[in-house]
Amino acid sequence: MDTATFRRELEAWLDANAEELAPPYEGAGSMDEQMAHYSRVKRALYDADFGRYGWPESVNGLGGSPLLRAIVGEEINLRGLADPSPWTMIEVLAPTVIDFARPEIAARLVPPFIRGDEMWCQGFSEPDAGSDLASLTCRAAKTEDGWVVSGQKIWTSFIQYAQRCVLLVRTGEPGSAHRGITALLVDVDSPGITFSPIETMHGRHDFAEVYYDEVFVPNERLIGEENGGWQVAMDILPYERSTTFWHRGALLHRRFSDLVAEVAALGDRSDTAAKALGQAFQSLVAFRSRSRDTQHRLAGGQQLGVETSIDKILITSAELELFEAARDLLGGVVEFDDDLDAAMWRTDYLYSKAAPIYGGTAEIQRNIVARRLLDLGPES
Amino acid sequence: MSELIEADDLALLTSGFEAAMAEAPGPGEADQSLYDLGWAELLDAAPAQGAATAFSALGRSNSAASLLDDVVANALGIAVSLDTCVVFPSPHKATAPAQRRGDTVVIEGLVSARLEMANTAVLAVGNGEGAVATTVDTALLHVSAAKGVDPGHAYRRLSMEIAADALTPLATRGTWEAAVAAAQVALAHQLMGGARWMLAEARQHAIDRVQFSRPVASFQAIRHKLAESLVQFEGAASVAQGCLHDPDPLLAALAKSLAGQAALTTATNAQQVLAGIGFTAEHQFHRWMKRTLVIDTLFGSANSLPAEIGHNLLSEGSAPRLIQL
Repeated sequence: MDTATFRRELEAWLDANAEELAPPYEGAGSMDEQMAHYSRVKRALYDADFGRYGWPESVNGLGGSPLLRAIVGEEINLRGLADPSPWTMIEVLAPTVIDFARPEIAARLVPPFIRGDEMWCQGFSEPDAGSDLASLTCRAAKTEDGWVVSGQKIWTSFIQYAQRCVLLVRTGEPGSAHRGITALLVDVDSPGITFSPIETMHGRHDFAEVYYDEVFVPNERLIGEENGGWQVAMDILPYERSTTFWHRGALLHRRFSDLVAEVAALGDRSDTAAKALGQAFQSLVAFRSRSRDTQHRLAGGQQLGVETSIDKILITSAELELFEAARDLLGGVVEFDDDLDAAMWRTDYLYSKAAPIYGGTAEIQRNIVARRLLDLGPES
Repeated sequence: MSELIEADDLALLTSGFEAAMAEAPGPGEADQSLYDLGWAELLDAAPAQGAATAFSALGRSNSAASLLDDVVANALGIAVSLDTCVVFPSPHKATAPAQRRGDTVVIEGLVSARLEMANTAVLAVGNGEGAVATTVDTALLHVSAAKGVDPGHAYRRLSMEIAADALTPLATRGTWEAAVAAAQVALAHQLMGGARWMLAEARQHAIDRVQFSRPVASFQAIRHKLAESLVQFEGAASVAQGCLHDPDPLLAALAKSLAGQAALTTATNAQQVLAGIGFTAEHQFHRWMKRTLVIDTLFGSANSLPAEIGHNLLSEGSAPRLIQL
């Protein structure tokens, strides 16, 4: 199906089902409310087939270009129908699991994930392995029929809602760096997994510390090759920076348009306000244009790689600029007010501070650009 | 939009343009040799793509050729020729360079070196909303003798009053708004071409220059400056490229603003990485840096355009969704 027709049909369907798809809560809602509504929207999209396009038939998808998935998330985010964060997990994890997991495992487990019946999480970072991911130490010992995992992970989003976790573990010798890492698809209800939530500064329990105490994972849950986990992780990164970013860009566009409307309503027509808005807008447009090129490369079957660090830096800068402009132009709502609108601006403002940290810090991204795209040789 | 031309033909033209730009010493000779190579025909056949190709080459080569006159004239629907020049808006502005006051017309604008070759100048006179095009005999125009920071390119101020009846109204097929957009996109490509040259110079210098017994390219402070320039370059280049398929005037203004910002950032970062040698007249860097300053001011700058764009957004009360998949 061509993208224009798909978008038209999707828009008509979203209009016709606007009432059913609208969040039942006011403002941002609690995390429980957000997750429940996210699942409702996902299921409705799936059952109306829109949520199945762009996924291969092997996981009960209807095929077609990944652009179709980008469009669905874009329209949902422009209308503010569902929180994009849980959705992100699908776009980040599912394509790689489809490519690297055993086909029968992917065929069985991916469809409920895509339909929004299940939530998955990602166990990569550890307390001592943040930017230096390859130094992770959470260990998996091999047994006859599987693996026994012991160690700790951190920043695991949504584990309290999740059924499964894509986990990176050390299977090589200590110090084997990226060569001795394996990826496993673990059931979160396995005996031996416990977690404690981390409260973020914007007042949510997005993340958790997760403890693995002799957790058994059967052989069939190996993703990719034994000691081939680094390749799996590297395969995930470009997905994290293509469809997902397009979705988030749409959310940022909606919030930017909200900001313009609110500043206009305040009657602020100063050059200072206009310039801050104009600059935030141009950063958003630069990101969106770059991201469109990336979506088309992905859809064209090209292998995405380190050049997506540029997309990451652009969306981070745009997000920071947008919410700094909101703080500057809305006359203290971030600092002093508690109404629903103010609470959303405050949440968004505070959450924007995470953008240059998660998914590879702003500094790591610039290191990658310098080394791999500018070919500046090794760092001293 | 005209049919896009074949990639092979374009590559051939581009290398021809670059060679001509590199060889011709002054603006007049450069313009003549580009006309000889088929610049006018290219602009006619594929205005957006032709301008992008030629202006990228202008930026990279730092050529003195005055092709902006042709881009504006062509967008207005006027036949381009070496005998026609255009009066451009004054620095940092994208509004018409002339205003009528009773029987006189007040001109505050800029002209390129094309003025010296041309007998006719196209002058846009503001009329509230947009502008109407007129022509005027170049003999009546008195250009400032000041050559400014970048004498090689020879954009000069035109600040004068002229009798209204010295202007001849000109029927044009294109609007002033479309001409502004075409100029902005072309200039964005010129700025990107210059930024690419400056970044390449700084990169090579960082690799070659050894301090503390290692290349300065190994220091993170330097790497991040160059990385930041590349990121801004790629963002701006993508928007400028997107304008080839989308004539939206807002997108053109954004492309110009982003390109100016990327080029100015690159100039600053490249000069810091070049350090001492980049401050000398001996190194060629200063020529590209000064050209960047000049081109940034034409048809709205990285400083002036965001406020202009922001005012338009505030009037609308929302932000349009540009760029579709």
